[in-house]
Amino acid sequence: MLSKTRRTHLQSTMNVPRLPVLTAVALAVACDVLFVPASRAESMPPQSVREAVAICYELAHATGSDGQSPYAAKTDSISSLPAAWVVPCLSAFVSATPAGANWLASGLDRAVDRLGDAVPVNALALFVGDATHATRARSLAFGWIKARDGARAAALLDSMLDDPALDLRRAAVEKLLVSVAQANETTQRDAYRRGLASARDVDQIEPIVEWLSEHGERMDVATVLGFVRNWRVSEAFDNAKGVGFAKAYLPETKEGGAVHTTGWKAIESADKHGGIDLNAAVELKKGILAYAVATVQMPHAGPAEVRIGSPCAVAVWVNGTPVMSHEIYHASEAIDQYVATADFHNGANTVMVKCCQNEQTEPWAVDWKFQLRICDALGKPLATQKKNAGGSDAE
Amino acid sequence: MPLENRWPHRKKMRVDPMRSKKIMRRRKRSFTSTRHASIRWIVFASVASIAWTAAAADWPEFRGSLGRGVAQGDAIRMRWSESDGIAWKAELPGRGASSPIVVGDLVVVTASSGARQDRLHILALDKGTGHIRWHRTFWAAGRTLCHPTSAVAAGTPASDGTRIVAIYSSCDLFAVDMAGRLLWQRNLAVEHPRSGNDVGMAASPRIIDGTVVVQIDCQGDAFAAGIDAVTGEDRWSVSREKIASWSSPLAMSVPQRGSREKTECVLLQNPSGLELRQAADGQLVWSWKGACESIPMAAAIGNRLYVPHDGIAAVTAATGDTKPAWRSTKLSCGIASPLAWGDWVACINRAGVLSIGNASDGLLRGQVRLTGPFWASPIVAGTTILAVNQSGKAFVVSTDGEPTILAENQLPGTFTATPAVADGSVYLRSETALWKVSPP
Repeated sequence: MLSKTRRTHLQSTMNVPRLPVLTAVALAVACDVLFVPASRAESMPPQSVREAVAICYELAHATGSDGQSPYAAKTDSISSLPAAWVVPCLSAFVSATPAGANWLASGLDRAVDRLGDAVPVNALALFVGDATHATRARSLAFGWIKARDGARAAALLDSMLDDPALDLRRAAVEKLLVSVAQANETTQRDAYRRGLASARDVDQIEPIVEWLSEHGERMDVATVLGFVRNWRVSEAFDNAKGVGFAKAYLPETKEGGAVHTTGWKAIESADKHGGIDLNAAVELKKGILAYAVATVQMPHAGPAEVRIGSPCAVAVWVNGTPVMSHEIYHASEAIDQYVATADFHNGANTVMVKCCQNEQTEPWAVDWKFQLRICDALGKPLATQKKNAGGSDAE
Repeated sequence: MPLENRWPHRKKMRVDPMRSKKIMRRRKRSFTSTRHASIRWIVFASVASIAWTAAAADWPEFRGSLGRGVAQGDAIRMRWSESDGIAWKAELPGRGASSPIVVGDLVVVTASSGARQDRLHILALDKGTGHIRWHRTFWAAGRTLCHPTSAVAAGTPASDGTRIVAIYSSCDLFAVDMAGRLLWQRNLAVEHPRSGNDVGMAASPRIIDGTVVVQIDCQGDAFAAGIDAVTGEDRWSVSREKIASWSSPLAMSVPQRGSREKTECVLLQNPSGLELRQAADGQLVWSWKGACESIPMAAAIGNRLYVPHDGIAAVTAATGDTKPAWRSTKLSCGIASPLAWGDWVACINRAGVLSIGNASDGLLRGQVRLTGPFWASPIVAGTTILAVNQSGKAFVVSTDGEPTILAENQLPGTFTATPAVADGSVYLRSETALWKVSPP
């Protein structure tokens, strides 16, 4: 603590406007007395790699509603890590919550900033090259390498075409395609086929499909992306004032997904993105809803992601079990807009979509449609359909 | 504290840096033997630097101090281009529609990157050189879909001089100190699972008397909250009507009845009307029902609000008057927010026509046709209005007499971010780059 004599001496030597400086001194003293010991304890540099890793695991378990927490001080402590401890600390990402990943990244980024050229690039490269590590940790480390040694980072991408870290995989596909830009057609074709097998992002897949199509391969985007294209669509139900979204009409009251679709209209999408246009299939009218049912074949039993996009309110069932519902009208439409995981049987499964149109009158609120696909967690399409001859497969 | 005094000692607290260094040296000699000297010095230097920071001209939040879009007194350069009048240009690591802010010697800007736009960036650049001082990246916890004309980094960060808060379309909110140290974070879309929308959230946060106000208007879990700027914890949270809007909160000082004291409030606007709430506790002070626009936010002079509402409606907040003092359909807003300063109101309609009217009665003073579309809101700098269209053409328009185009300046890129002005320098942010236009 400051002695009274010293404080007086300090004040007398300040030949500057008093208020802010005196305030600063007062706050410094207050902090000294009240807060410093605790904060010092929290932000003390770890004394061993084991302690550092333990702190990182604490950060990894943070939640996003903690507000001010001890985490800020903990990031201070790991920001002073020696170079050799950076890679062990990255292991904490394996159990990180979204907020925890940000706390970790914040502290480790500062450590790496401080280390400068002392960052252990070789050890980081080994870490990034091991796909069993947490994807966020590897992406973060890849960025550190790239900032210091671009060639080294680029070389790492050569083995990342099937990487579970989607950003690294995307960069690997991009590098592959750029590398054959001046090559002969055979080499390019091989690279584009390889790239297509690896790519998971729609904006990367579409130009690959386009190139291959222009070079004689028979394929289309909807098939490559695995959209479910064959559906049976119900008649219209009432959704005036939006009441139909929460109302369980007959199709959704059947146990086990045994929906009777007799009399429902068989639809096969010809849309590039597998869209089912309900204005055309049902009726161009506002304030109504419809159900659509498809039978899909899955290669194995287990969880998979149902990915749906629609400008209208939607709900989805798989084999009669509710999977998701989103009561949002005309805010946007995108491929894979809503994603939820559902359990599927091996072989045939029934997917039902409820799609609701509201009564907005703006010209941009006319669309009433959806598109749906079923994928693994990285976006690889899983579901197939038998050719819909007269719609029988959709029953 | 009245809002006008939120940047205390702006003029009277200038600290001589050389003199400060001498003091620091003397102080260092005196205290080196004490146990916590270093901590004391950090605190001392921080507070002194705040005083120093506050002495500089800042543009600390969306549309500048108090969100009024007015940099009066700051004359700006008339003409510039890629090769002329540019102090520096910085490429950004991702996309964004957020405005830069200027705090002390830092220019702070946000961006997002990645195939899913889920890497969130906060960058602090040296105001003088454009060099990156620090760069922090986070991952989005919420949804990152948005319309191509918007961006995940659409909300402008805000600063109170000691910390910066940044929000993204994913409803992720971060507070960092001026050195880029993460202080707290809130994943609001995790706390409110159906908040946000896929057009993209765009309301900027406001820091009012130590409360960070966020406005999350959407068709799902719509809410507004006041969050303690220091602790990151809720001071208040209120549900809002489930309707989308993209307008930002506006800070207002409202006189208390029968008193000279003022209460710091925040104005929240959505298509159904206005709500004025106390910033400290969220208590409703006043409301007004009327079909407001969903994107442009109201302008204000004192208690008088100029509300985008079938043209412009002049409404006096926190009174019993619910009828607008005037309404003008000739003063019409498109996407850009209106301006109100001195005796005047100005707005740009969807056809790109800039109109200036009397603030007192709404009578049209003059119009000039610019070339749109305009997503960025215009600002007042000195005796000119600066309006930047989507394709990077910046119009400098005289506010004296009949509005007249004084200059047209072109930069490359797509511009949806409202400019910032500090010390006569203009900061223009395209989707992926940031320019500093030198002062005149």
